[in-house]
Formats: sequence, structure tokens, C-alpha cells
Amino acid sequence: MTQKLLLKSALPAALTALLADHAVFAPTGEAERHAFTCLSSAEASETADAVNLDGLTTISPKEILFPRSETLYGIGLENGEISTPEPTGPTVIFGVRPCDVRSIANLDCSFLEKGFVDTAYVQRRENLTIIALACKELQSPACFCDSMGGGPASAEGADIMLTETADGKAFLVSFLTAKGEAIEKLWETASVLTEPNSADTAPPPPVCTLKVDKPQDLPAKLMAAFDDPAWERLSESCLGCGTCSYICPTCYCFDIDTEISGGKAEQLRCWDCCMFSDYSRMAGGHDPRPTKKERLRNRFLHKLAYFDERHGRTLCVGCGRCIAKCPSGVDIAHVIEWGGTL
Amino acid sequence: MTNEQKQTLMRERAAALMKDGAVSYVIGWRETRFPGKTAIFFVRDEKDADMLVWDEYTIPLTAKYLTENRWPDKKIGIFARGCDSKAINRLISDNQVERENLYIIGLPCEGKKDDRCLSCTQRDPLIYDELLWEPENATGTSETDLQRARFFRAEEVESLPTDARFAHWEDVYARCIRCYACRNVCPVCTCRECYVDMHRTGFQGKHHDAAENRVFGVTRAFHVGDRCIECGECERVCPMGLPILGQTQKIIKTIEGLAGTYEAGMDPEADSFLGKFDLDDKDTFM
Amino acid sequence: MSDHNCCNNNPLVPLQCKLIGITEETPDVKTFRIQCADGSKPFTPLPGQLAMISLAGIGEAMFSITAQGDDWIESAIKRVGLLTEALHSADIGDAIGVRGPYGNSFPADALKGKDLLFVGGGIGLAPVRSLILHVLKNKADYGEIDVLYGSRSYADLVFKADLFENWPKQLNTHITIDAAEDGWDGHVGFVPSYLEEKAFSPKNRACIVCGPPIMIKFSLEALERMGFAKENIITTLEMRMKCGIGKCGRCNIGSKYICLDGPVFTLSELDELPDEK
Repeated sequence: MTQKLLLKSALPAALTALLADHAVFAPTGEAERHAFTCLSSAEASETADAVNLDGLTTISPKEILFPRSETLYGIGLENGEISTPEPTGPTVIFGVRPCDVRSIANLDCSFLEKGFVDTAYVQRRENLTIIALACKELQSPACFCDSMGGGPASAEGADIMLTETADGKAFLVSFLTAKGEAIEKLWETASVLTEPNSADTAPPPPVCTLKVDKPQDLPAKLMAAFDDPAWERLSESCLGCGTCSYICPTCYCFDIDTEISGGKAEQLRCWDCCMFSDYSRMAGGHDPRPTKKERLRNRFLHKLAYFDERHGRTLCVGCGRCIAKCPSGVDIAHVIEWGGTL
Repeated sequence: MTNEQKQTLMRERAAALMKDGAVSYVIGWRETRFPGKTAIFFVRDEKDADMLVWDEYTIPLTAKYLTENRWPDKKIGIFARGCDSKAINRLISDNQVERENLYIIGLPCEGKKDDRCLSCTQRDPLIYDELLWEPENATGTSETDLQRARFFRAEEVESLPTDARFAHWEDVYARCIRCYACRNVCPVCTCRECYVDMHRTGFQGKHHDAAENRVFGVTRAFHVGDRCIECGECERVCPMGLPILGQTQKIIKTIEGLAGTYEAGMDPEADSFLGKFDLDDKDTFM
Repeated sequence: MSDHNCCNNNPLVPLQCKLIGITEETPDVKTFRIQCADGSKPFTPLPGQLAMISLAGIGEAMFSITAQGDDWIESAIKRVGLLTEALHSADIGDAIGVRGPYGNSFPADALKGKDLLFVGGGIGLAPVRSLILHVLKNKADYGEIDVLYGSRSYADLVFKADLFENWPKQLNTHITIDAAEDGWDGHVGFVPSYLEEKAFSPKNRACIVCGPPIMIKFSLEALERMGFAKENIITTLEMRMKCGIGKCGRCNIGSKYICLDGPVFTLSELDELPDEK
């Protein structure tokens, strides 16, 4: 595998080349508006203004694979005819941080493994090329990816890896998969790549300041503490809102709801959150997780124990979004650390 | 008195209350791992008291946590600043908590490092069993002394032309992720079961789009409506940074325009403006 | 394992079916017989498996499959929410969506050669009935069969034709209602205490329990006191479900999804799971 160089000045041309036959998502906007959006050709050609590669987006890019809301199918109320949405075409996500890339492997486990393959997800996934961007600096004091098996420069799951050079003028580009190589050809044709010379090196990746001691047997330790009164303490400030789940790159729980429009009933899949009071409440009123203590315990055990038991991975990549954004100081790193002390 | 001295007083007082067995717990604040961010904390025994903090970042309201235990066996201890006390007054007048179930430790507030405190009209607690230190001002901050207009957020929107106002709210509802943090943190959002969670009724679709978000946003604003104590917690917790305080500010401002001075939560006996009626009222609008 | 059936090979899209029979079991339970729009059988479930049933424009929910024939499946459904309310006002011939079957099943093979005790309460007889019918069809493979079933009142007893006509000819029935009422000369009392009163021998006997959570809880305790080994106590659980295919998240107990790994568990398997039922 050889590395190529993509000058930042060539970024508009590179994105424009992708747009010819892909939908291209890249981070745009600032502060709370910092999010992956589908670029128009105008935005692609004015990269310097539109695309914002600094920092972690407020909402993770998971919504490209797992939209906040999507129509699963429609059914004619008169004729009973079923219509399913057109599958999306080739898509590129540009500038995804290593933590968010690793989170996609978690989504894959859920939507593609253990019995059923999710039709809508697999269509999008097969059509998706991931262009990752290594972190040159720490994105936030809440980052702890290197405690969770990843790292600021981890290329795990990426089709293409971009690493900013020390002088900040270019990216070293590694094409890691067949999907990545297809883009390499596209970029070669568009003449946006150059050969790096010996001065084009990447500085050593940053080290996360938040260190979380995650023991190997965390799932077993936490499961043994299922009835520990500490869960009460961990959940006492929790507001039971959906902030953590909705900004999390790995949370994948969904609801299916019906909406009627234009003589059709649309079956919609939409994000849901296990902290909500109607999440596990049954039609007859019984709720196996009736208070925020049980809900929060289920949320963290799902992330740190259940998912691991099912898929062999932790359902947390250490992006730190939930820690930074939780309005009431609930902190998954605390739960991991506490698990380590058990 | 320095914040550190105040913090010491709080710790001592909470420890004493726990030692006496006067309260089942005391609601206050603790540190988080980030400087500049605190979280609500329940002092459950004497030694917990040492984790209490008081600094310019003890921003979250304590009062909402009272609604998690509406019929306590024993009194609940709660630290309350002006904003918390307004919330407690509303909770009492909305029959959500009973005064005799509370032991309120009043904390005159110097204003926190939060933009919303710039338009605070009531730094000193209105209702308390004891005041832990003397207020710096004799009463609340007068409106003319505010560092920012009381209805600043509503006025931001009012200053826009009509079309731009519509675009403003469309943008808000398009960006809302319906995490319901604004609802859950709001000290006057106290329905035992929110209409949102009764989705089998069809009132609120689960669909995440601007239309459903608008249904929620407008319903929330109007339901809080005249009971809003203007604490701004809804904006503090919003992960998308949405300027939603403007909605209820506008309602309060409109009430002031109709009926003169009005501020929710100033008196535990007071009805909410829209919650009272008179059988002799003339239905001039019908 | 039976094959999953859905529309367009998309596991979340239901087959277009119709209602070909509706039986009123109790004031709030009806049994719905369902067939594909083209007259074929939607799928062939194993005893204890589930079906996701939907009404266009109303919603979708998971129900146990109570019985099946050559070209139909049946579910007995209690009116408790929006969808079941709409189902209860549906007519024969109405369109209905079905996908499934979901979940594991009762271990019909492993139970061969054993005496069987079925314990049900209220609508809880519905999931168990699929196994009772299977066992009766293959009666030579099983030993003595007892059904102990109770409900709030006579009116609330489901499958009355089975309970009072068909089954007494083929197995032992023990029926109870919670409180005495005019015209009822059978047993009066709650299921768990009736169970203990009957003192069934645990010897070579497996017990299959389903009912409201509180009845299950006390019945399991009673069975253990009676000396039933945990491996010989089987129950079927209910959790809120949305997808049925192990993706949507909510029906988990510990790392198990009830829609995939359940709903049928032995008590020894349940003991391995967190107490969140």
C-alpha cells in the first residue's frame, strides 16, 4: 500500500470529483450546527468555507447509515399496495474521526448479524465508502478512544485514511480497501493526488488526556454488580432525556411508528432512546424498567456488557460526546472506572 | 464571604441535618470531571456532605428533583437560590410538592457564569426555612439593574421581520432532535405522564422531522406558558443550542402587556395567570 | 427451524393477509384466524413462536400464535391498546399484515416421554395453547397431561370450548376463577394456590407456565416448593417489541432478546438473566 498526498488546496477538486457519482457527506457548520451534511456541488467547490474539519461534530455521522427517521414501506389504505423507498446510491462520508469510524462496526454488528439482515441498512452500508481523518489534536477533554481499543489515528474500518501533515498543508492518504482504491482511481483521473516527498510526514498522534481503566472482564464485573446500590447514585442526577443516546455514534435503538399521508400509511423507523418512559412499557401498562435507575443501568449494561456478550465488542468507542453534553453530569467513563474497582 | 466559605457552610449544614436525621437527603451540587461543570448531587449521609460544591458553575436547578419523590416519608432537604425558590413556589402552588415535606436551605446567589443569569430578577431565595448567609442585596435585583433585558430572547425574535421570524422557528424545529431534555429539566413541567409518552394516543408521532418537532416545541412552550419561572434551564440543557427560552419569555411578556407586572413563582399561594378564572368573566371573545 | 416469511424479502415488511375467522373468547379477547391474501398459509410456526401483526395506518405488535391449520394461523388477542382496539373492531375479510414467525419455541421434542402440566392465567393460556394442541396431536409421544388454568371470572376464561368440551376428553383440566360467582360450581381461588393444593408430583413431569407477571412469579415459587427442578419449569415471556428481528433494542433481558432468543425459557435459563421481567 502506497501513500499519496492530497493538498488541502486540492480538496475542492477532490470533493467535486466524488460528487460526480456519489452523494458526499462532510462536516459543515460550527458549534452545535457542526454536523455531517450532504454537500452540494457549490459547497464542494468552496470547501474552504463550507467544510469544517475541526473538532468532533455535535451529532455523530451514524444518521447517514441509520437516519433519524426513514420510511420502511408505505401501504395504500385503499388497495393495500406495498411500496418501498428507492435504495440510496453510492455515498461517501468524508472526514470521519477514527472513533466514529469504529462505531460503524458496532452498527454493522447490530443491523447485519445474529439472524436477520436489515434490508435498508445493508443497502446503505454496501454503498458507503468511509474516508477517515486521523486526529492531529485532541478533539475534546472528554475524548477517551485510546482507552476503548481505538486511537486518534486508528484506521480500523476506514476505506481511506487521511492524516494531516505536520505543516498542515496537506493530507497523507492511504487507500485501504477495494472501495478506497476505486476512489483512488477517481482521484488519479481528476489529478488531485500527488506523490509525497520526505518532508511530508505526519506528527505523532495525540494522546487522550482522559484515561479510563477498562478491565478485560468488565462485562462480568458489571453483571455481578447488577443489584449494587451504586446504580441509584449513578442515576440520581440523570434527567432521563435522550441527549446521550441521540448524540452517541453507537446507540442504535429504534421505534417503528405509523403515519398516514396521501391515502398511504407509512411505516417509519425512527431513533428511540432507552431512557424514555414509554420505551419498554407494554400495552397493558407493565414496565420491566419502571424508573430511571433501571433504565440507566440497562443503557450502560447494554453498552458495556450485553453487547459485548452478544457481539464481542464494547458498544462505546470513547468519543466522549455523551460525557461532554450530558446536562446532568452522567459519565460513562465513571461507570467503566467503577466497574474496574469491583 | 468567599465561595469557599459558603461551600464550607453548606457542607457543615448538610452534615448536621443528616446527623440529626432531620431530612432523608439534601439536594445540592457536586463537581464533575470537568472544571466549569457541576451536577446535581444527593447528600445521603454525613460524609457525602464533603462532596458538595458552591462556585460560579453551580448552575443546575435543584428544584426539579423534588418531583421524583412527591410523597416522602421524611422531609427532603434542598439548597435553593432565587431561581430554585421560584421553582419551589410553583411546585407548591401546582400541588406537586407540599411545603411541610421540604426543608429549604436558602442560598442568596451572586449570579453564576452563565449568560442566563445576566437577566435574573431574583437572586435571593423567596421561600426557605433558614438562610445560610446574608444576601448582598437587600432584595432581588431590580429590573433596571439587569445586565441584560429580562425578555432578551423574545426580543431577539421580535426584532426580526415576520418572514425571518418564521424562518427562525423553522430552523429551530428542523434542528431539534427531540431528546426532551428541555421538558425533563423544566421545574414546572410536572405532568406525571407527559402527552409525548402517551404515543398510543397518537398525540405526538415518533417521527423525527420538523413537523413533529414543532408539535412538541409549541405544545411544550404553551403548556409551560404562564408558569415559566424564566430560569433558562431549557436552553442550558439543549444539546443543539436552540434558543427556546424565547417562547415562554414571549408568553410572559405578553401577559405583562395585558395585565401589568407578572412573574411566576414569586408566591407559593399565587395561581398561574392563565390557570385562574372567574364565573363572572365576560366572554368577550366569543 | 421454521422459515421466516415477509414481503419483498424485507424482514420488516409484512405479508398482506386477510382475516378469515373471528371468535369472541371473552368480553376483551378475540381469536383471529389469518390467511394470506392469496389463500395460502402465511408460515408454519413452531409451538410457542410469535407473529408480528399489523393494521395499515394503526400500527404493529407482537402476539403469540395460538393455533394453526393447513392454510391459516390463529392468534388470541386481548384488547389493551390502540392496535388491539382496532383489531377488535375488524371484520372477516379485512386486510391485516403479518410477518414472522419469531422467537424460539417450546422444546416439544425434549418434552417427549414426560408428563406435562400446563399452568395458565388469563390471556396467558394463548401462547401455551399452541403446545397443548401440538401435544394432543402427538399424544402417544407424551405421558399424562394436565391443564390448570384460571381467570378473574367465568366470563374471562378463554377457549371455553377447549376447556369444557374438547380437552376434558383428552387430558385433565383444573379450572379456577378468582372469586365466587353465581352459576360457577368449580374451584375458586388464585392459580398459584390452586397449583399447590393439587400437589402435582414433580416426578418425570415438566411444567409450562404463562400468565400475568405476578401469577408467573408466585407459580414459579410454588412449583419450586413442590419439588420441580428448574430445568423442568418452562415459561414464555412478554416484552415490548418493535422489530421482532433483534435490532430495535427494547425487548432485552440482559443480553438476550426475547424476540430472538425467547420468548420460551426454562427457569434455570431465567435464573441466568438479570431480574428485569
